[in-house]
Amino acid sequence: MEKMPLSDLIINGVSGAGGGTYDNVRIDGVGKVNGAIEARSFKGNGHVHLNDDVKAIEVECNGIMNVKGSLRFGNMKADGLLTIKGGLSGESCALNGMINVKGDCELENLTGRGGFTVGGLLSAGKVEFCLQGQSKANEIGVESLVIRQENKGVWSKLWSGMIPKLKPELRVGIIEGDYIDLENTIADIVRGNVVMIGPGCSIGRVEYRSKLTVYPGVRIMKEEKISE
Amino acid sequence: MDKDLISKKELLDLTGISYGQLYRWKRKKLIPEDWFIRKSTFTGQETFFPKQTILARIHNIINMKDGLSLDELADKLSDMSSLNSTALTAEDIVSRNIVSQMTLNKFGNLTSGQSAYSFEQLIILYTVDYLLSSGEMSLEEAELLSQTLVETAAKFEGKSWDLYFVRKMGVTSFILALSPSELVFDEGVRLVNKLSLGDLLEQLKGKLS
Repeated sequence: MEKMPLSDLIINGVSGAGGGTYDNVRIDGVGKVNGAIEARSFKGNGHVHLNDDVKAIEVECNGIMNVKGSLRFGNMKADGLLTIKGGLSGESCALNGMINVKGDCELENLTGRGGFTVGGLLSAGKVEFCLQGQSKANEIGVESLVIRQENKGVWSKLWSGMIPKLKPELRVGIIEGDYIDLENTIADIVRGNVVMIGPGCSIGRVEYRSKLTVYPGVRIMKEEKISE
Repeated sequence: MDKDLISKKELLDLTGISYGQLYRWKRKKLIPEDWFIRKSTFTGQETFFPKQTILARIHNIINMKDGLSLDELADKLSDMSSLNSTALTAEDIVSRNIVSQMTLNKFGNLTSGQSAYSFEQLIILYTVDYLLSSGEMSLEEAELLSQTLVETAAKFEGKSWDLYFVRKMGVTSFILALSPSELVFDEGVRLVNKLSLGDLLEQLKGKLS
């Protein structure tokens, strides 16, 4: 049987569509898709509602995107607000804005600025993140994790005092990784090989293997060196 | 605490791998999700693993990861560890049509007095039976192969191997090489068959399940 070339799904303006397998999916404006989508490339601008799982090699998203199922991708570039009810898994993700994942998050590369909320485990190869707002994760397991605070100006302090969502901090239960470099992080347990605790952190317990660096004045309840 | 469970920290100490590696392998599905057992301890939540299976799996991964990408490895490993503990009796083998009765009678004396065949022995029997039934190998050659496998297969210590079955001027040889391998022979050599452990395992897995 000869294979038909896949068709595209293009929505401009306000409209809806069914799921299926597509080549290109492009939604500009307000789009709603019922049913699972599989596509080579997925681009969403504006307000995109997806009521089921999404699978795409390239994902680009500007604006607001809601996914009721899980999201799988090769590469993703996201600006704006992303909410995912299921899990998130992919190779690399560049984020500028807020991402909210209810399930687990599995990535090889996560870079970005803004904030993230992961309900389950954030498992990644490399994470480099600039905090601009409140971030949360239940558990983080990584090879390398670098958390930075973006702006340290007076205005950001003022805003974060008024709106708690804008307070740049990361709250985690357990962080485990090889290389951990933290700022503005509140964690119960941090376990790692090389651990650096920067300003603004509050850590319940640190277990490290080879090296621990602590910024002066940071509160750590208990630190423990694990011998080989 | 349960004896057959191992905590994450102990596991890392014992095997010498790092947190990053463990999480990476989990992401690549080299370690199944349901082996991660969460329990609360006095220091909060801890993750535990079934000790024997996880140790064997990590041993396998470390041995096999050279030359293979993690994705290939994941395919290879998927559910091999449960097979390693299977043991079948002679009747089972015949009734499930894994190895023919004739092969079993002739070469089935691998177990020294025990009634059940271990998985490694099954692989040997299956290999011999496979080549015999394809008509490419004579009984004497089968004898040689069975002997070779019994003596040498254990040396690979769980690593994957390829079996080359070659003839030159009517003389038969069996060559075992660490897979993935590529052998080049002179002109007079005829490669009768090439089997890889991975394929054999796959077929055997199909028959067992």
